[in-house]
Amino acid sequence: MISRRRFLRRGLVGGALLAGAAIAPFAFRSTRLRPPRAPLRLLSAQEYSVLAAAVERIVPGGGAGPKWPPAAALDCAGKIDALMAGVHPDVGNDFRRLLRLLESSAFGALQAGAPRPFTQSPPAEQDARLEAWRTSRLDLLRSGYQAVKRLAHATYYASPETYALVGYPGPPDVPQPPEAP
Amino acid sequence: MAGRIHAGAELRDSNSIEADFVVVGTGPGGSTAAAVLTAAGAKVALLEEGGHYTRRDFNMQEGWAYPALYQEHGNRATEDLSIMVLQGRSVGGGTTVNWTSSFRTPERTLALWAQRHGVRGLDAATLAPHFQAAEQRLHIGAGNPDDVNANNRKLQEGAAKLGWNPELIRRSVQGCARLGYCGMGCPLDAKQTARTTFLADAVAAGADVYADCRATLIETDRGRARAVVAEILDRQSGQPGPRGRLVAYARRGVLLAGGAINTPALLLRSRAGTDTGLVGRRTFLHPTVPVVAFYDQPVEAFYGAPQSVAVHHFADRGDRVGYFFETAPVHPMLAALAFPGFGDTHRQIMTRLPFVQATIALLVDGHHDDVGGDVRVASDGRIRLRYPLGHALKEAAVSAMTDMARLQLAAGAREVWTLHETPVVIRGEADLPRIAAAPFGPNRLTMFSAHQMGGSPMGEDPARSVVSSRGRHHQIQNLWITDGSVFPTALGVNPQLSIYAHARLFATEIAKTG
Repeated sequence: MISRRRFLRRGLVGGALLAGAAIAPFAFRSTRLRPPRAPLRLLSAQEYSVLAAAVERIVPGGGAGPKWPPAAALDCAGKIDALMAGVHPDVGNDFRRLLRLLESSAFGALQAGAPRPFTQSPPAEQDARLEAWRTSRLDLLRSGYQAVKRLAHATYYASPETYALVGYPGPPDVPQPPEAP
Repeated sequence: MAGRIHAGAELRDSNSIEADFVVVGTGPGGSTAAAVLTAAGAKVALLEEGGHYTRRDFNMQEGWAYPALYQEHGNRATEDLSIMVLQGRSVGGGTTVNWTSSFRTPERTLALWAQRHGVRGLDAATLAPHFQAAEQRLHIGAGNPDDVNANNRKLQEGAAKLGWNPELIRRSVQGCARLGYCGMGCPLDAKQTARTTFLADAVAAGADVYADCRATLIETDRGRARAVVAEILDRQSGQPGPRGRLVAYARRGVLLAGGAINTPALLLRSRAGTDTGLVGRRTFLHPTVPVVAFYDQPVEAFYGAPQSVAVHHFADRGDRVGYFFETAPVHPMLAALAFPGFGDTHRQIMTRLPFVQATIALLVDGHHDDVGGDVRVASDGRIRLRYPLGHALKEAAVSAMTDMARLQLAAGAREVWTLHETPVVIRGEADLPRIAAAPFGPNRLTMFSAHQMGGSPMGEDPARSVVSSRGRHHQIQNLWITDGSVFPTALGVNPQLSIYAHARLFATEIAKTG
């Protein structure tokens, strides 16, 4: 058992590493897999599936109305995989551990009352688990939530398909000046 | 003979080059120094970890710009992710993506450095010719009222009503079309950047630039910097590629200008004069707290010059941490990052995007007992930035949010939201005390930094500073630092122009004595 103090001192990644190492062998036993659109560059199939499930809850989903594309339609999780493949390898590894932590059934039991992996939980439970991380007293969990939340929102709203939905007309046309000699 | 800008893909393994001066970084500090040294007849080679992009690459899409033009693909942050760090990374450095706001170093900041940090011979008069030269080259004129878009107009009007002295911001532009995309690279080259000015001058006069080359080690020999070793990065993957390393030998000296996080990290990695324990400490970020105001009429804060109005009324609050107000452009991705919550809660805010006004408070860190953050290099080589949010900063952030809300209400906002994880919604004066009661701490509210300073402070006392008041390293005599990492505290204004001017002053002396 890691003491809370040590957990916090090591920060997002150190803490996730320790916790993830303890959970990892079991975390993916029953992950509900989602097929990626293109070959994955950083994540395993299981990690990708956890990410895709979380992103789907974080960005506007089907409940927002037919105009709002679901995350899968914009390949948000695939874009995040590609982005994280380009960062420092240890940051990428931390991100993978974070996804294992999110998947763990233990958090389901603690935070949503059901010991299920994240990917096997119904949407309301997934939301409850994300909410528990978002507002957690533990710095580590709030950091973990922010990591996934920011990547999800960044990829979704950087997609031109969503511009009109938020009233953004997009970049203006720019007359290109003649090339300097 | 003119030099050129080499892309990493053009280089082969086991490259070695030699120059009089090797400069790490092509932002305002590196480019200006290179221009001065090249003009003085020296052969200069610059190493830049970012790619070389020109206006035709700048497509005004956030999804391209942040991964391509910012540190860590736009993901740089403090290690607990509490402060998102927007820091440029390309040929031209931060100036490729900055919002053009140009200020001279405040005299009270220079006085503080002289009084408390052992800086000598660095007053406004000494810097004046260097500011003038930089302002001329960057076409920085007087603030222009025509630059003020609706987003900035609200800041201006609210501040004027409250007697808080809004001022027009001087901008580094020529022929600006006020598109609003400075932060994604100017597609017109109307923004005057290090790349289009001092670096272009240096290259025309013979300097060579090596893009996609990340400096990883300063080689020293008997107290002198001998060479800089760089990894040649693959532009697509961002990782060290098959092309191996570039070794840049320096006949006369090495100048570091990789910015206030990467320069201390390079010194730490190289164990170059780091035994005093000062390198990487006292890192300042102008920690920035936004609030958003909702108006009945569209603000369209995604268009127009991003910043044209500043309010420095609270920059000096005596024994409390000061702050100043500016605006931030409201493009969908940046806004989505800043807005709290997820699912439908977050979507509801996003659908009001055209009606959002965004005011930011930049906290002036390092002027009091607050010691800022620190940069360390982990055993795996990755940079770790730690920045504790102490009581003094909390007091300033709460006071700043309260004042910004007051200002936006005065400007006619329907309501103002803080960006706490559970936003405080302010519709009138009676709501203001709730800001102080909201949870404060890491990832309890949105914070970011666009200004990185310190970490290798200047001063005359080697026990308290890393470089002299002219940027020369105290232990390694032919090593200089010419970027914002030399500032002993945050500036209290947007730093780009100060970095140009300090680098020009330092390089002028290096050309004579180096």
